[in-house]
Amino acid sequence: MESIIESEISQPDYTSCLPDECLALVFQFLNSGNRKRCALVCRRWMIVEGQNRYRLSLHARSDLITSIPSLFSRFDSVTKLSLKCDRRSVSIGDEALVKISLRCRNLKRLKLRACRELTDVGMAGFAENCKDLKIFSCGSCDFGAKGVKAVLDHCSNLEELSIKRLRGFTDIAPELIGPGVAASSLKSICLKELYNGQCFGPVIVGAKNLRSLKLFRCSGDWDLLLQEMAVKDHGVVEIHLERMQVSDVALTAISNCSSLEILHLVKTPECTNFGLAAIAEKCKLLRKLHIDGWKANLIGDEGLVAVARFCSQLQELVLVGVNPTTLSLGMLAAKCLNLERLALCGCDTFGDPELSCIAAKCPALRKLCIKNCPISDVGIENLANGCPGLTKVKIKKCKGVLGGCADWLRTVRPMLLVNADTVEPEHQEEASNDAVGGLQENGIEFPQLTSQIMAPSIASSSRSRSGYFKSGIGLFSGMSLVACTSRQRRASR
Amino acid sequence: MSSNKIVLTSSDGESFEVEEVVARKLQIVGHMIEDDCVINEIPLQNVTGDILSMVIEYCKTHVDEEESEEAQTKLKTWDKEFMKKFDLKTHLKIILAANYLNVKGLLDLVSQTIADNIKDYTPEKIREVFGVENDYTEEEEAEVRKENAWAFDEADTPKP
Repeated sequence: MESIIESEISQPDYTSCLPDECLALVFQFLNSGNRKRCALVCRRWMIVEGQNRYRLSLHARSDLITSIPSLFSRFDSVTKLSLKCDRRSVSIGDEALVKISLRCRNLKRLKLRACRELTDVGMAGFAENCKDLKIFSCGSCDFGAKGVKAVLDHCSNLEELSIKRLRGFTDIAPELIGPGVAASSLKSICLKELYNGQCFGPVIVGAKNLRSLKLFRCSGDWDLLLQEMAVKDHGVVEIHLERMQVSDVALTAISNCSSLEILHLVKTPECTNFGLAAIAEKCKLLRKLHIDGWKANLIGDEGLVAVARFCSQLQELVLVGVNPTTLSLGMLAAKCLNLERLALCGCDTFGDPELSCIAAKCPALRKLCIKNCPISDVGIENLANGCPGLTKVKIKKCKGVLGGCADWLRTVRPMLLVNADTVEPEHQEEASNDAVGGLQENGIEFPQLTSQIMAPSIASSSRSRSGYFKSGIGLFSGMSLVACTSRQRRASR
Repeated sequence: MSSNKIVLTSSDGESFEVEEVVARKLQIVGHMIEDDCVINEIPLQNVTGDILSMVIEYCKTHVDEEESEEAQTKLKTWDKEFMKKFDLKTHLKIILAANYLNVKGLLDLVSQTIADNIKDYTPEKIREVFGVENDYTEEEEAEVRKENAWAFDEADTPKP
């Protein structure tokens, strides 16, 4: 006891004079793990931390139910809640979710992951209690469309709806789900890996203020539905289509959405130059365009020339598995004077003349990323003499670029951030993983790893992404013959 | 108007003559000026001179909030260096002052600095550096630990 008193005298509590709001402000800058440690410091810190915790992420195991009263008394201000269960555990059920909803009537955001015991009944109970919900996201749960419908029918402020891998959608003829009371508030819809995802068609068509629509790997032919949506033209700004069965019919319809600014077409093997040109011609506000052509050569120069002709606002262009030549690249450079970010990945036609063309004609370019393209040191030399505004350049897996080239580029362009890896054959596998990470941190919003080597197949036919991934890497590592930088040589020792 | 000088006086009687634009960065002063334009000397009861001079130094540096990326980066570097000059005790005095004087930018900066300093500390270490007494009973502490176990440790700090 004595020593405690002594230390108190020599070290008074610095925080005793600190008002709760200041303490809370410090906690605001700490992550969950650190906040938990702060709560263990003393009672006051625990109380202040708990009352000022707005975002909470809980293990959603079934036995959470007994701790709900104490947890939600401590964290009584939560507005953003995540409930995540791991694969091996039994998740919380309906009773627990309803109990939580009664404790969090002001909840603005709910994220459910792998809460497999939840049913439509629990979702309905939840939705009735948390009508202020703005963001709802669920993944790998087993409830069905009715559970989502409950949210749409009760939450009139719902802005974002994200549904990923719901396994309760097994009906052969599922009920169609409308936007309910969220028809005016809904701004963003994201559907991922859903069977029968088209039962949400009426939500997509009926959301009067929809700005962002993202569809990934959902089964079925989506042309008709996208046509219906596009006809209404509610002012959608962003559309992502990845591994979807959509064709030029849908793209032509989407061209009616004149406020479109962001378009991602990733591995949509039925989309061609025709569809892209239709969009380019009418969507003049297009700012960001990402295309993964899956090496099918159905989108290339012709479509890109149309983009160059009509989309003068273009700022960001990402081409994966597309084969542009100097014809379209030259026009893009000449006409899209705002083009700041350009990424090319697995473009077999992007060699030194193409890079030199960009270097000479693209004055506004700030970030350039080239991965797995047949450029060489000659192209890099020309790049060094062009693009005065360039601040970042990334060169990955380009076999023709020798090790010393990046260092040379750094020397002649000291203001330029150069990120390059040239790879030894035996390290190619790791490096190709690095390259993916590198691309993603580039500031350019990149789609998933490009399995460009694969032949295109029907979007929804395969669910084994990892299989594609691995075989892609395997093929890459087969293509060796790459020089190595001293850095990598050191690493390999 | 901007050339108008205002005198700020600390609790221990130190006076600082500053430009009105600088003084206005202290929102408490800003409100006083708006309420009564003729004020040119303002006593600040809750701040000592040494801390007030630091606050003023911050406000002088941040008086032109330039939007350019370059200017922002420069300011951020200055902020970091500025904070490095002080120890935890001073940081706590600054947070009190920034709270009382209502200087939002400084309040965030110093809170972030304190948070950065104590992150990854154990509860014992935090108690030690702040001189906080552990007033939990063993059972209570065990209960808090049990509750903590339900919450995930997310790697990223949420944006406030």
